[in-house]
Amino acid sequence: MNTNLRKVLNGIAIPVVVVILWWYVTTFGSIPEGILPNLPKVGATFKEMIASGQLFSDLGISISRVLKGYGLAVTIGITLGSLIGMFRPVRELFLPMLTVIRQIPIIAWIPLIILWAGIGEASKVIIIVLAAFFPILVNTESGISGTPGGFLEVAKLYGLSPWKTFVKVYLPHALPSILVGLRLGLGVSWMAVVAAELIAAASGVGYRMSNARSMMRSDIVIVCMIVIGLVGVLMDRLIGFGFGKLTPWKKHEAKR
Amino acid sequence: MSDSIINIEHLNKTFEVDKTKMEILRDINLKISPGEFVTIVGHSGCGKSTLLKIICGLVSYEDGKVERSGKAVSGPGPSCGMVFQEHRLLPWLKIKDNISFGLKLSKEEKDKRVGHYLEMVGLKDFANSYPAQLSGGMSQRAAIARGLANNPEILLLDEPFGALDALTRIQMQKEILSIQEKEGTTMVLVTHDIDEAIYLGDRIVVMSARPGEIKDIIKTDRYASRRRNSPEFANYRKKIYDYFFEDVQDYEIEYNI
Repeated sequence: MNTNLRKVLNGIAIPVVVVILWWYVTTFGSIPEGILPNLPKVGATFKEMIASGQLFSDLGISISRVLKGYGLAVTIGITLGSLIGMFRPVRELFLPMLTVIRQIPIIAWIPLIILWAGIGEASKVIIIVLAAFFPILVNTESGISGTPGGFLEVAKLYGLSPWKTFVKVYLPHALPSILVGLRLGLGVSWMAVVAAELIAAASGVGYRMSNARSMMRSDIVIVCMIVIGLVGVLMDRLIGFGFGKLTPWKKHEAKR
Repeated sequence: MSDSIINIEHLNKTFEVDKTKMEILRDINLKISPGEFVTIVGHSGCGKSTLLKIICGLVSYEDGKVERSGKAVSGPGPSCGMVFQEHRLLPWLKIKDNISFGLKLSKEEKDKRVGHYLEMVGLKDFANSYPAQLSGGMSQRAAIARGLANNPEILLLDEPFGALDALTRIQMQKEILSIQEKEGTTMVLVTHDIDEAIYLGDRIVVMSARPGEIKDIIKTDRYASRRRNSPEFANYRKKIYDYFFEDVQDYEIEYNI
């Protein structure tokens, strides 16, 4: 059998079984609709949410929060990660503190952030920044500090300025690692915004779910969950797409 | 001799390793004339690489005098290039960009310079390849081209052929000689391969290990030393072997391999 076809079939096998089970228990079982709606109901709700524009407006709000927070996290994470990776004093100043802060789960920040920033836009963005910042920082730092001394010696030999050394030697060496950080960071941003909206928000996909739960609308909850999963995959694919183009030398190294 | 391009007098160098002082180089005195090809031969760890790095300004020195073209060395400069044992080509730059690395020239001049040296080292068709696509010998050629592209007066080579297989190494030795004759660059090459030191060197500096001291400087007959089976070549070889294996009687077995 064609390996691609086999891969696809294997990939969807378990979801298909789950859907069949779901259909079976909702058709022949006696589970209340508020707990587990049947398939046609979820499909109808999905269509309705698209038609009314509610789904897209919720998604738009959540995604724009992600973009703001993620953008900030990328800027701060790459800058600070590079400085920590290149300069020992900066490393000694920041790394122990950051290592401790990193251990605090993102959910544990939410109460304090709500106290300080309320439940408006700012608190969502802060939560996303906190969540996305660490994977970006850690991966940038490890890529930068892993730059072989031999390459730095070459830069020194050719009299490169510190900035040129960063651009021509440190940054390209760290790029594959930074890209890993960017990818992880985007993933956690998306998870963080939903978590933040679930706990305290007046708009967004997370808010929609929390609101639907209080009205026993499990169909809406499930539609939102499916959409969250799909958007996450889509974001991951989008960001992964450009990576190969940014590091063209990598594909030759892989062959060796 | 005031016209020497490299002048080292009473150079001592110690490193601090785990709070104990290690003497690396002791009382090095060496003068090198423009256009000369000097080889330095010694055990690994005898400080010969450190000596090269001091000459090009990558490693600092506190005790003694080190001059390039009459000026005390205070740091790296474009007049002194270096080729390392590992080629150290930047994996993310194409070969042509590796060769023009650090060149402060206009684009056209850069292209011309790069083209010239690519041609010289036989890598014309690999200008747009990445280092990972090249074999070991080709990478080292590219590294030599990078070393030359700055038009340095001095090119220092730190065991540049050490990682290559024996056949490629002999080929590369021929090529570096012809390049040196063409360009007239002063070259200092460090090696632990005695044959290589004889074949390439107008003078051979023999160094002892820990601390690195110059035991002897052997001037070779340029014509004779370029023929590996000449009696003179065998004589130089015996002389150098005696320095390293004074107490070993049956070294013939070793060097007849």
